[in-house]
Amino acid sequence: MPAKSVYICCDTGCTAAGGGLLASAFAAKLKNSGAACDLAPAAKRTGCHGLCEFGPVVRVEPENISYYQVRPEDVDEIYEKTIAGDEVIERLLYKDPFGKQFKTAAENPFYIPQVKIALRNVGEIDPLDMEEAVARGVYQALAKALEMPPEDIVDEMEASGLRGRGGAGFPTGKKWRYCAASKSDIKYVVCNCDEGDPGAFMDRSILEGDPHSVLEGIAIAAKAVGARQGFIYVRDEYEGAVRHAAAAIAAAQARGVLGRNILGSDMDFDIKVIRGGGAFVCGEETALINSIEGRTGEPRVKPPYPASSGLWGKPTLINNVETFANVAAILHSGAQKFREIGTRNSPGTKVFCLVGKIRRTGLIEVPMGITLRRIVYDIGGGMMNSRPFKAIQTGGPSGGCIPEALLDIEVDFDSLAEAGGMMGSGGMIVMDSCTCMVEFAQYYVKFLSGESCGKCTPCREGLRKLDAILTDIREGKGRLSDIDLMEDICQTMRKASLCGLGKSAPNPVLTALRHFRAEYVEHVEEKYCRAGVCPSLSAFHINFDACTGCSVCARNCPAAAIEGVKKKPHQINQSKCVQCGACRDVCQFNAVTAGRR
Amino acid sequence: MFITIDGKPCECAEGEFVLAAALRNGIDIPRLCHHAALPNQASCRLCLVEIMENGVKHVTASCSYPVSEGIEVVTRSQELQKLRSGVLALLKERAPASPEISALCEKFGVAGDKRFFRDTNERCVMCGLCTAACKLLGASAISAAFRGVDKKISTPFGEMSPACIGCGACARVCPCGAIPLTESGGAREIWGKSFELVRCPACGKPFATREELAFLAKKFALPPEFKGLCRECQRKETVKKMPELRNAIAAYPSGSAK
Repeated sequence: MPAKSVYICCDTGCTAAGGGLLASAFAAKLKNSGAACDLAPAAKRTGCHGLCEFGPVVRVEPENISYYQVRPEDVDEIYEKTIAGDEVIERLLYKDPFGKQFKTAAENPFYIPQVKIALRNVGEIDPLDMEEAVARGVYQALAKALEMPPEDIVDEMEASGLRGRGGAGFPTGKKWRYCAASKSDIKYVVCNCDEGDPGAFMDRSILEGDPHSVLEGIAIAAKAVGARQGFIYVRDEYEGAVRHAAAAIAAAQARGVLGRNILGSDMDFDIKVIRGGGAFVCGEETALINSIEGRTGEPRVKPPYPASSGLWGKPTLINNVETFANVAAILHSGAQKFREIGTRNSPGTKVFCLVGKIRRTGLIEVPMGITLRRIVYDIGGGMMNSRPFKAIQTGGPSGGCIPEALLDIEVDFDSLAEAGGMMGSGGMIVMDSCTCMVEFAQYYVKFLSGESCGKCTPCREGLRKLDAILTDIREGKGRLSDIDLMEDICQTMRKASLCGLGKSAPNPVLTALRHFRAEYVEHVEEKYCRAGVCPSLSAFHINFDACTGCSVCARNCPAAAIEGVKKKPHQINQSKCVQCGACRDVCQFNAVTAGRR
Repeated sequence: MFITIDGKPCECAEGEFVLAAALRNGIDIPRLCHHAALPNQASCRLCLVEIMENGVKHVTASCSYPVSEGIEVVTRSQELQKLRSGVLALLKERAPASPEISALCEKFGVAGDKRFFRDTNERCVMCGLCTAACKLLGASAISAAFRGVDKKISTPFGEMSPACIGCGACARVCPCGAIPLTESGGAREIWGKSFELVRCPACGKPFATREELAFLAKKFALPPEFKGLCRECQRKETVKKMPELRNAIAAYPSGSAK
C-alpha cells in the first residue's frame, strides 16, 4: 500500500460547509479499513486551503489531488479509488467556468500566482498537533533568536523592511526599536487579532491554521524588546482561533517553549489569550489596550505611544497576527531573502481575503507588487454572471474603492494609498455593475456609525451627518451642494479626529466621490440609480424580447410582484415590487434590467 | 524649557500640555471639554492647533499634547479656522439647544444647517466631563452608554442610580448646561432622582443632599458630628480663620515644605 494521507480543511468556513463531519467520516473509514495509510495521522484536520468558496476541501497526498465540495457520502468512493487505488475522481475536481479540470492545486490558476510566507503552514498541518508544526520547522527561528543579541534581531527586522500588516504599514523594525529602547522593568508584547473589516478573515485563518508560528513570532519579538509577558487579543466570535491559540499555548508550555527558561535559555516568557467583545474600534491599538485593562474600548490620546507607555503604563509592542506570522520566516531565511519578494518599499507578501462578485473567492497570499487585475482575473477567475467589473474595495471601512482604470496599479502600501484606497488588513471586495456607489459609501458609513467609539466630535457627528446626506441622496432629496458638503465633512474628520478610525473613516466616501462622482451627480440631478439599488430612484423591468417565460423570477419573487403566463414574457407589477433584485439575480437570460422609474 | 506659541516664547514645565501653557501665557484657545481639575478628554476637538516639531507640521488637540523643547505652536491659521468651523457646525447640529454652542458659532461665523438637526432640545455635546467628574469624586453613577452615533450619557440602564448622591458635580462641570438640575421646596432633582436637601447649620439655607454629606464623611473619615457648611458660610469661616492660618504658615520651618 502506498503511503497516503488526507488533508481535510476544517477552517471555520469549511467547517460551516460540513468539514467537521467529513473529517470524522474519513477517520472512521480509515480506521475500519485497516492500514491503508502508513502516514500518521492519515486523516488530518488542517487550516484553510484557500479556495473557501468550494469547501470543504480535501487534499490527498502525495499525489496532491484536491477535491472540492466533498460530502460525507463521497468518502467511500475517495477511499476506494484515490486512497486504495490511484484513480482520480473527476467529478470532485475543481472545474473552471470553461469546464477545464485541475487535478492538483499547483495547476489551479487560483494558486499559481500565490507565494506563501505567512500562510506557509496553514492547510499543511493539524493546528492542534504541535509535533507537526515542529516538524515543519516552527520554533527553529526562536531557538536562533534566543542566541542572538536583541539588537541583532531588531536590525534584521529593520533590514527586512517588513511593514505592519494590520493596515497602516508602519515599519515593524522601527516599532520594535522604539519599544526596545524604552527603559522599563516590565514590558509587554500584544498580538492583535481583533480583525473586524467586513469580508476579511486573514488573521483568523492564520491563528486558526498555524497558531504555533504566531506564538513563535510573538516570542521572538519579546526577546527583541525585552518582554516577559505576551497577550493575544482575539475577538470572541473567532471561536476556532481562540480555541486553537489556547491549545497551542498549553502545548508550548508543556514542551518548555513558553514559561520559565524557554527552550533552555535564561528567558522567561508566557502568552495569554484575551477574548475581545467584538468591537471594531478595539482593533485600534490604544483602544485594545484599554480593553485588555478592563476599561471602555476607547482610543487613548497619542503621544504617549504604546511603545513608551501602553498596557498598564508599561512599554508595549503591538503587531497584528500576519505581521507576527512573517517574523519567524524572516529570521529563518534572512532579511535579504525576504526582500527578494515584493516591492522596494513594501517587501514580502500580503494575505488577502478575496470576496465579492468573482468566480473564485477565498484566502490568498500574493507577492507585493502584483497587479489588482491579476488578483481579480487570474486568481479570482474574473467576474461572475458576466457582468462588468465596477470597482474593488480594499482596506475595509478605512479603505476605499478602486475603479477599472486603476486595476493595473501594483499592490503595495504606497500605491493603494495613492489611489485613495488603503492596504488595510487585507479585505478585498470585488463589485460589479449592480453595485451602487452611493449605497456602497453608505454601507461603510453605517458600519462605522455603529462601530465608532463615539468619543470625539468629528468622527461621531461627521458619520451621522454623512449618513443623513447619503440617505437624502438615495431618496432623491439630495442637492448638488451636498457633494461638496460631504467633502468638507470628510476633510474635517480626516484632520480633526482623535484616532486612526476617525481619521480614515471618510475614505470610502472620498474615494467613491473621487472615482464615481458622476454617479452621485446622476442620483442628485437625474434622480436615477443606474445600478438599480436605490429603490426611490430606479425600477426593475423585464425585457420582452429576452424573456423566455421560464418564470424562475416569479418563483423567486418574495412579493409575488411578477405576473405572466409560462412560456410568455413576464411583467413586473411595480406597485407590488419591493426592489430586492432577486429576479435580476436569478434570470438566466439577463432579461431583468434596472431602469428609470 | 521653551516653546513658541503664535511666535511668542513661552516657558513651560516638563509634562505640561500645550493648552495649559497657552492659557498661562494669555493666549486663548477655544475649548469645551477641558477642565483644569479633570483629566483630559480630548473629545470636543475645538482646541486644535498646528504644531511644528522636528520639521514636521501636524494638527492636534492642544489640551492633551505634551510640550517638548522647541516646538512651535500656531493657534490661528486659515486651516485651523476651517477645521474649527467644521467641528462647530457638527456640534451645532448635534446640540442646537445649547446657547454656549450658539455663542461660539456666532463668534466664529458658523451657521448650522437646520436640515441636519438631530434633536432640537439637545444640549449635550458628549464631551465626557460629567462622567470624569463623577468618577473622580468616587461615585461613578453615570457613564457613557452605547457606542458610535448612539452614544449617550446615562445612569445604568437609564434607571435611577443608587450610586448617585445628587451632588450635582456633573451639572456644574458641563460646558453646555445639558444636565438638568432643579431645586425647589428643599429638594433637588437630578438624573430622575429626588434628594432631600439638608440645611446649612450656620445660615439655615438648604445646601447639600443627605447622601452627599454621608459620602463625604465616609470618604474622608470625618467625625460623626460633621454637618458641613454651605459654600457662602464655608467662605466666611475660612476668612475668619485667616490670621490663624497665616500664623501657621509663617511658623512653618522654611525649606521643609513639600
